[in-house]
Amino acid sequence: MGDRMIITIGEGTCGIAAGSKEAADLLSKRFPEAELRSVGCVGMCHQEPMVWITNTDDVTTLYGQVNKKNLPKIVRHIKGEGDAPPNFISTSQQPDTDKGRYLTGQTRIALRNVGTINPTSLEQALARGTYGAIKKILTSGMTPEAVIEEVKISQLRGRGGGGFPTATKWGFARSAPGEVKYLICNGDEGDPGAFMDRSLLEGDPHAVLEGMLIAAYGIGASRGYAYIRAEYPLAVQYFGKAIQDARAAGLLGKNILGTSFAFDIKIKEGAGAFVCGEETALMASIEGHRGMPRIRPPFPAISGLFGKPTIINNVETLANLPWILNHGGAAYAAIGTEKSKGTKVFALAGAVARGGLVEVPMGSTIRHVIEEIGGGSAKGRPLKGVQLGGPSGGCVPEAMFDTLIDYDAINATGAIMGSGGMVVMDSKTCMVDISRYFLEFTQLESCGKCTFCRIGTLRMKEILTRICEGKGTMADIETLEELGPQIKNASLCGLGQTAPNPVLTTLKYFRDEYIAHVVDKKCPGGVCKALIQHTIVQDKCTGCSICARYCPVNCISGELKKPETWVIDSKVCINCGMCAEVCNPEAVFVA
Amino acid sequence: MSHSSLEAVVDPQLVKKWISEIGSDSSAAVPLLQAIQSHYRYLPRKAMDVVVQNTAITASQLFGVATFYAQFRLRPVGRQLIKVCHGTACHVSGADRLNTALRQILDITDAAEDTAANGSYTLENVACIGCCSLAPVMVIGSATFPNLKGADAQRSLKKHAKDSGEMLPKQIQDDDEATVSGGKEA
Repeated sequence: MGDRMIITIGEGTCGIAAGSKEAADLLSKRFPEAELRSVGCVGMCHQEPMVWITNTDDVTTLYGQVNKKNLPKIVRHIKGEGDAPPNFISTSQQPDTDKGRYLTGQTRIALRNVGTINPTSLEQALARGTYGAIKKILTSGMTPEAVIEEVKISQLRGRGGGGFPTATKWGFARSAPGEVKYLICNGDEGDPGAFMDRSLLEGDPHAVLEGMLIAAYGIGASRGYAYIRAEYPLAVQYFGKAIQDARAAGLLGKNILGTSFAFDIKIKEGAGAFVCGEETALMASIEGHRGMPRIRPPFPAISGLFGKPTIINNVETLANLPWILNHGGAAYAAIGTEKSKGTKVFALAGAVARGGLVEVPMGSTIRHVIEEIGGGSAKGRPLKGVQLGGPSGGCVPEAMFDTLIDYDAINATGAIMGSGGMVVMDSKTCMVDISRYFLEFTQLESCGKCTFCRIGTLRMKEILTRICEGKGTMADIETLEELGPQIKNASLCGLGQTAPNPVLTTLKYFRDEYIAHVVDKKCPGGVCKALIQHTIVQDKCTGCSICARYCPVNCISGELKKPETWVIDSKVCINCGMCAEVCNPEAVFVA
Repeated sequence: MSHSSLEAVVDPQLVKKWISEIGSDSSAAVPLLQAIQSHYRYLPRKAMDVVVQNTAITASQLFGVATFYAQFRLRPVGRQLIKVCHGTACHVSGADRLNTALRQILDITDAAEDTAANGSYTLENVACIGCCSLAPVMVIGSATFPNLKGADAQRSLKKHAKDSGEMLPKQIQDDDEATVSGGKEA
């Protein structure tokens, strides 16, 4: 039994953005005697800011979306007066509530500590068993070969998207000649719509650090880099703190844990280039150059950073390693499908009711993640599909949501597992517009080295823009289908090899939408500006004039409080959608 | 439109200090540019000259790196920087409208321009800041604004301007009251 109440606040980037600091202030004013604790992001982003209240009987109650307005009801509930407020989620005695199922429906290995510990506290990490695996390895005299063997038994595959067997890659670097070897943690999470690595680096940096120590020991690396996106300032800060604290505790540097094992880490902040997620481009970037990939072989495991054998592992891959070494490779391999073992973390977002971080065993279905954990459609509109793997991946239609989460099963749909981005799309999303969006992204991010990637993605983007503007032809669709495989085959790195995937998968599963744009000059999702029209439904209009005040081109007119007078001048209207967004009674019709 | 008033006065000694801290071999190019930008908020030509004169980094490497990575700016930036997220989730939930709304209130009409005429705010599109469940999102300084609709973006910006003592070029009539009355009548 505790002697005082504990208020725990989730303070990841999402939590802070949603107002966790304010929630903490409000609650500590109401309960000044309580102890205030800060933890990383638990991954229930849709419920931020989140607060856990642990009473003196050690019962913890979880509340979501805490703010000034709903605070009184929460305070009453904490004091045991009144019913559960609408933003009550669950208690430690009964975690499996309707809302709590978001967490209880998951299997957390990589995210085992995220949201339960304060990421800036080495003590709390140690109390959760962090650094236990590396300690066991070093003190029991386990050989590097035995470490690699354990990872081999686990059948862990690279979680950054490639899916290459981790132990095999390590084996190459282990046997490569050379005194100096490097280990790089790839935290350049560039896929728009993905934030798994951010949450891990922010929420449990010591787990990633321990993973790096295990990998470094396995391959024989003495130097390491953590390449983290500059767009993740909190991750850079917390990981930096973790490195300092670990060094001070003798867990990093020379003579780690009193043995002859030495390893140290430098942080390199990425400067904003998607292509740097690719191994050879990332190394070029660390070396101080433009992040352009180079021909393989030689593979980085043989000749990588500064010409030395180098292993690059993704953040999530690394976070799995301590668990594997603690529980044994066989325990990890017991989870999942025949060729995809363990769990996978996804960043669930888009038109889904409950978005956030989700870790599920391989072999779960996409439907399980979206409907059981994510709660299905956010606005009750029918779901159309899900985009997996960001700009390198593809769209899987709703009819195929029973596809298993398994590298090969997802590849068979034309999408890829990718690093874990999962953006859900409903009937108000235009699949042609989404393809155009991704191609615009890859075209901008193409480093320009390979002609097909540099010019091919530009041509695809031009064609897609044309189709979105209602100027496309059926021949354009054929050209897209012709260009796609050419770009994939004639590009050096993963960026170009996968760039056409969003277009090819939407052409495969949502061809009718392309045809509607080209032949009927209609955008079924109501998104493409040239093909839609905004009109005011006078029956619903209240004549409040808010639409006119937000219209950037002043094309809406009418008399105050006279709904029948309000009209949009379609000749001037740019279909930006501001009016529909600000209208309370939803009197703006889009078609 | 030029913003000569926003151009930085470069102190060569400061740049040399960073070189001595970070290093002068070719792998120092990215961190040196990051140090320059984090201080001056863009890459002044003169600061880059100091780097080239005092390190093993050539002008072509430095300029090549500066133009390759999205983070680096060669033009001065407004006193406040607004980053509008254009990740997938933000795109799907209307990041474009955020841009329209912010450009409107900042009175930036030229599509090639990204800074308000009074030098107050600069609008930057960023790839993804990883707050996808709170889309659409914008970031000003260290503050993140979640779940923004176009109208909310204008309101948040007005509040930010008021709190930070910044002037907006164009004031949009306050709408809070109208929103409420519109809702009631409906």
